Amino acid sequence: MKRALPVLVLTVAGLIPLWRYTPAAPTRAAADPAPAPTVSTTPGSTVRVVAGPTVDTEKGPVRVEVTLDGDRITTVRMLQQPDHPQTTAAVPVLIEETLEAQSADIDTVSGATVTSDGYRESLQAALDAQGS
Amino acid sequence: MRRVEHVMGFPVSLRIDGEGFDDTVADRLFAWLREVDARFSPFREDSEVRRLDRGELDPGRLSPGLTEVLALCERYRAATGGAFDVRLPGRGLDPCAVVKGWSVQKGAELLRAAGARRFCLNAGGDVVTAGGPWRVGVRHPEHAGRLCTVAHLTDRAVATSARYERGDHILDGRTGRPATGLLSLTVVAPTLTEADAVATAAFALGREGFAWAAARPGCEVFAVTADRRVRRTDGFPVAGSGQVAA
Repeated sequence: MKRALPVLVLTVAGLIPLWRYTPAAPTRAAADPAPAPTVSTTPGSTVRVVAGPTVDTEKGPVRVEVTLDGDRITTVRMLQQPDHPQTTAAVPVLIEETLEAQSADIDTVSGATVTSDGYRESLQAALDAQGS
Repeated sequence: MRRVEHVMGFPVSLRIDGEGFDDTVADRLFAWLREVDARFSPFREDSEVRRLDRGELDPGRLSPGLTEVLALCERYRAATGGAFDVRLPGRGLDPCAVVKGWSVQKGAELLRAAGARRFCLNAGGDVVTAGGPWRVGVRHPEHAGRLCTVAHLTDRAVATSARYERGDHILDGRTGRPATGLLSLTVVAPTLTEADAVATAAFALGREGFAWAAARPGCEVFAVTADRRVRRTDGFPVAGSGQVAA
């Protein structure tokens, strides 16, 4: 992974304008405080989702949600996290936005183009034709 | 150089930038993808996958490739509590969701080994990039000719799971029914092996799939929910309008 460091630098450099850009009314899905532990189960399944109580730490309040399959933890998710650089860097911040259709200058398209008809109509076909 | 071929049931587009790359590099890539199709397709009666499914192969003595693929399938099944499952009741073994990402990632490694440093390999909408940044549009879940976002990728891969023209083709292994809750889910990851499997598995998980994928190390996620809202991780490399680098 000799390329890792320059790649990281490039990625971070690319993100700086995004940090400075504030989308319209971003909401933090992570901030959803509720006082008591809650448990939800799916009928006929051993999977349980347990939300813990809010715990005060020296960095601020923390609340997690754990998904268990039987006695095994399968997922841990932050419901609430302190607004502190050390913790905000570790947990992905989730952003909600409105869905907007757009077109732009691009190199390629992600998203299945399975059938030939679908492909012919797709943007990727246009891009391939443009380059040949 | 550029090349487009139809392999494994979808169009594969290759673009390599730089001098000294001729058709032999592309020939090797497409030969590998055709070999994968012959060995791992559940739609070919003589493939290793079909022969294993019919009990004609000793499960303890499979080829290294198939062993690797089945180990990946099991890893993602366990990680999703069974939502992602290549052995659904009443259906044959179908490891397509893992084979695609795994084999195209291996194909990208063939290109790197041949000296390619800046390329974009798109296999039916799943993309591996080398060098960059590459501007990768994500197909809009409802308008085929439009995009719902554009990502800037350098040395990373991206995969999108959605219904698109295939309809309800991803089943939730826990219920056996088509996965609902999401219109599309896109994962950016260091490899396409991870991006493709995580995108499919998260789509199978439905609404909870977003948080599951977002928690995986190295994965950035962009999802459109059934109520047409976008949820994405803060680190998803969105190239917003006006911020696209020249």
